[in-house]
Amino acid sequence: MKANGVGSALGRATALFLVATLALGIVYPVAMCGLAAVAFPWQATGSVIEVDGVKYGSALVGQPFAEPGHLWGRPTVADAGIFTAQDGSPLLWYGPENLSPASDEFAERVQARVESVRAATPEAGDEPVPSDLVTVSGSGFDPHISPAAAEYQVGRIARATGRSEDEVRSIIRGCTERPLLGVIGEARVNVLEANLMLDGVLDAPPNR
Amino acid sequence: MGAVVGQALLEAAVLVAAVTALALPFSNYVVKAMEGCPMTARRVLGPLERGCERLVGADDEAPMGWKRYLLCALALTAVGCAGLFGILLLQGVLPANPEELPGLPADTAFNVAASFATNTDWQAVAGESHLSYFSQAVGLTVENFLSPAVGIAAAFALMRGLWSRGGEAVGNFFVDVTRALIYVLVPLALVGCIAGMAEGIPQTLEPYETVQLIEPVAVDGEGNVVAADDPSAVRDVTEAVVPLGPQASQVSIKQIGTNGGGFNGANSASSLENPTPFTNLLQCGAIMLLPLTLIFCFGRMVADRRQGRALMAAVLALLGVGVTALIAAEFAATPQLSDGGAVYTGNVGQSAGNMEGKEVRIGTGATALWTALTTAAANGSSNGSLAGLTPLGLVVPLVFMGVGEVVGGGVGTGLASLLGFTILTVFIASLMVGRAPEYLGKKIGPAEMRLAVVMAVAPSLLMLAGAAVLVLVPAAAQTVGGGGPEGFANAFYAAVSTGANNGSALGGFNADTPWANGVLGAEMILGRVVALGCTMALAGRFAACEPAAQATGSLSTASPLFVVLLMVIVVLVGALTLVPALALGPVALAVG
Repeated sequence: MKANGVGSALGRATALFLVATLALGIVYPVAMCGLAAVAFPWQATGSVIEVDGVKYGSALVGQPFAEPGHLWGRPTVADAGIFTAQDGSPLLWYGPENLSPASDEFAERVQARVESVRAATPEAGDEPVPSDLVTVSGSGFDPHISPAAAEYQVGRIARATGRSEDEVRSIIRGCTERPLLGVIGEARVNVLEANLMLDGVLDAPPNR
Repeated sequence: MGAVVGQALLEAAVLVAAVTALALPFSNYVVKAMEGCPMTARRVLGPLERGCERLVGADDEAPMGWKRYLLCALALTAVGCAGLFGILLLQGVLPANPEELPGLPADTAFNVAASFATNTDWQAVAGESHLSYFSQAVGLTVENFLSPAVGIAAAFALMRGLWSRGGEAVGNFFVDVTRALIYVLVPLALVGCIAGMAEGIPQTLEPYETVQLIEPVAVDGEGNVVAADDPSAVRDVTEAVVPLGPQASQVSIKQIGTNGGGFNGANSASSLENPTPFTNLLQCGAIMLLPLTLIFCFGRMVADRRQGRALMAAVLALLGVGVTALIAAEFAATPQLSDGGAVYTGNVGQSAGNMEGKEVRIGTGATALWTALTTAAANGSSNGSLAGLTPLGLVVPLVFMGVGEVVGGGVGTGLASLLGFTILTVFIASLMVGRAPEYLGKKIGPAEMRLAVVMAVAPSLLMLAGAAVLVLVPAAAQTVGGGGPEGFANAFYAAVSTGANNGSALGGFNADTPWANGVLGAEMILGRVVALGCTMALAGRFAACEPAAQATGSLSTASPLFVVLLMVIVVLVGALTLVPALALGPVALAVG
């Protein structure tokens, strides 16, 4: 092989590519999977909340909620046409809205969401609706809602579930995470966990 | 509202200051690693380094001239591109494919392969629904390591050329790539991966999880969710999917190597890839770490750290302007969102401002900061939907990408294009004061100028040409979707993002169409080849040039005045090229 030819450059590049593929494409990810299975088994497989053999969802993936007795999360743009289960039945997955917040279509959607949230939540009266209740998140499956958006729904949830407002608030508080060191990130309520507690499936949020 | 913006700016300043402070000592380590100096890490990893070099056949090759170095860099990029293309085509018959996904069509596979081999990481298709675990780990993760390693190698070759006291050699490409991998990229990726796994990023080879929906939803025949009493409802969906896979191992290197391609379509907006404020902070910092480190490396390599600090000052100042503008625009939100006062956009109990396309755990300020950093560094990952940005907020990423990887830029290539602009500035400034242009004692002649101009202008030309094809060719315009200012903004953003090897995208764009795949794939390859070619040619010319003794009263390239001039040239040359196109897209949206 001529030391300066194209052939030797390609040959060495191929050798480097193969070594990298073995070390970084196979050994590295597989070793990390092994480590995760031992050290972080719950997180490694999607932080799924499982009670008595029923998998109720991932603590990291939001679900659509529209019943008055449940805490509502961010609006979702769900699609059942992408994934199917083994038996062929459709599975739900989500995407972002991809609308400019300066567009007319966006304005119409926000208006419609405000109307439906207000109609379902007469307890909140004319109070402005917290923005995260009427906007779609970046992923489309934001698992959280802001404390303001949760508080907005307390009256409705109490009415629909027969619980006292204090009980509902205490459940929401239990599912609220604070910003790291008080400043990094935002306070947030895990919607799925709160609803599993409202339904009596969970007694306490899964430990973090 | 002012206080909210102020706090967000303070947090942004603290993060950037912390990363800069970390980059300073880290640059010392990187220089030692790349230059083969003795150090603690080398005592441990030295045998591995030598073993890899022997395996590749790099150890018996003498230091290379720039042409050989460039040839090897292009060879590795081409081999990586071809290998990835093959994996994506054959995905259906390859192992580790629990969702039984079919191979990608040729146009999509070409686009994705070009994208990841060139450090762009533009994503024509969503990973969780189109790519198997094999394609993600063995295909994409490997290019996530190799493409920034090529960038680091090229940057060091250029720095050696600038410091060279005459001669041809700029380094041994394969040795440089091996060192960049073993000492820089792999250790950082391991740390990031373990932190990510602990915080909740999935890392498994198990198939996707299926979970019960607490409230089943009704869907129509096409799978769209409709109201339960809607006449078009055909069935209830009772289960949802949770995509899994070896995500953490890819997410960490996607951020460190300014790659930016997400494991999932939603990228780091997905709470699977970016589950907590802590992972958000780590990933946001990781975006800037290597681009800033390499600027400090430059000061060390030319044995004049003031030169590195001057470039750093220009980069941080430009970054500051962009971050401030973007944060202010996002907190100001839009009248369409406030809906005549019916929607609360204040900061009591929630994040203030425009929450469209943003995640609650991250909030408006941290999403705006990330968006600025990811387009300043040619990273392209996102922790929100860029389509959800306010129109004026959208101008910042477009300008950052439009100036062509200068404000941090991609790992390695960013430093190179910053040096291209610096040479341009030296030339103009020297002519203004009537001196022979020279940089670091090296004469800047017509050949150097030609290369610097190509480096500075080529990205903009590529972007405008790509956008023109996507908008003007009827067949292309029809497939990429959207008319009016919003449709134009989508296509323009795509052309800018791929021309700058950035990879971020507006979600409304129909990326997976033959026209978009072809045009944008070509843009990505040309963008990378021109950048690498100019970088290496400059390295070679400077290496061969013996430095002259510093003349008294020659132009100081480390003075505040020069820094300001450099910033002016970057904005004039890079950004102004794009002003007419900006006016047709986001600005028209804002005023329309």
